Amino acid sequence: MAALEGLPPELVSADLADLSATVTIDANLYPVDAVYGASFVLIDRCYVLLDKTAEGRLSVTLTLKKATEDSAASLRTMIGELANELLACAWRIKIQAENRGLIESITMRSMAGAMGAPSLDDLESFDFSSEAFEDPLGIALSWEEKYGKKTPPAAGDDPLAKVETPAKAEAPAKAEPKEGA
Amino acid sequence: MRALRLHRELYEAKAVDEASKMLGAYAELKREDDASHFVISITGQSPARERKVALELANHALTLSRR
Repeated sequence: MAALEGLPPELVSADLADLSATVTIDANLYPVDAVYGASFVLIDRCYVLLDKTAEGRLSVTLTLKKATEDSAASLRTMIGELANELLACAWRIKIQAENRGLIESITMRSMAGAMGAPSLDDLESFDFSSEAFEDPLGIALSWEEKYGKKTPPAAGDDPLAKVETPAKAEAPAKAEPKEGA
Repeated sequence: MRALRLHRELYEAKAVDEASKMLGAYAELKREDDASHFVISITGQSPARERKVALELANHALTLSRR
């Protein structure tokens, strides 16, 4: 096994005669699902073999499907792509875990919307009597429930009869003409 | 004869069996497991054929394990 130029020898080793390179991955940095995801991206161009080392680290062995003029360069490219995909997959998994609740909520709402409007049978069996929330201050009461509905006046009653008219102000006394004027 | 070792925590037994069945026409495959790995012994017409079958078997088992 030999080191590949430009890659850390403690993480990557290559067997150029076998057209293969092995990358050691810290399982604390990259979850196993990220390793699977990154491996699938390369599976059409490489043979991929996963393994676990004695220390609990993961190893990915990539073997080129076809020999090239510069196998070392091809392997270096594949290892680089694997590393990039590992990072992308790990990041996607992290985002997915953080937003799981939101994704489920949106999916549920879209599914409920796709089910269409409720049928008449659904509405008939729906229990409208259940109170949605407690209302100790009576905020949700209608005006009629809160203050009582006004009774309409009878037909013969004059609505203005009960209205008290203000007392007529007495006319001021006529001033008597002054003598000698 | 060539041996392919697939870790039990990374590959499913059912996937390994299914992949072995798919490639059984190209070489004689025999599964002999140990504590941590599924070990598949591959006997083919030539070392090159055995190598090719082992590599294809690993790819198929990986794909089927995550299906």
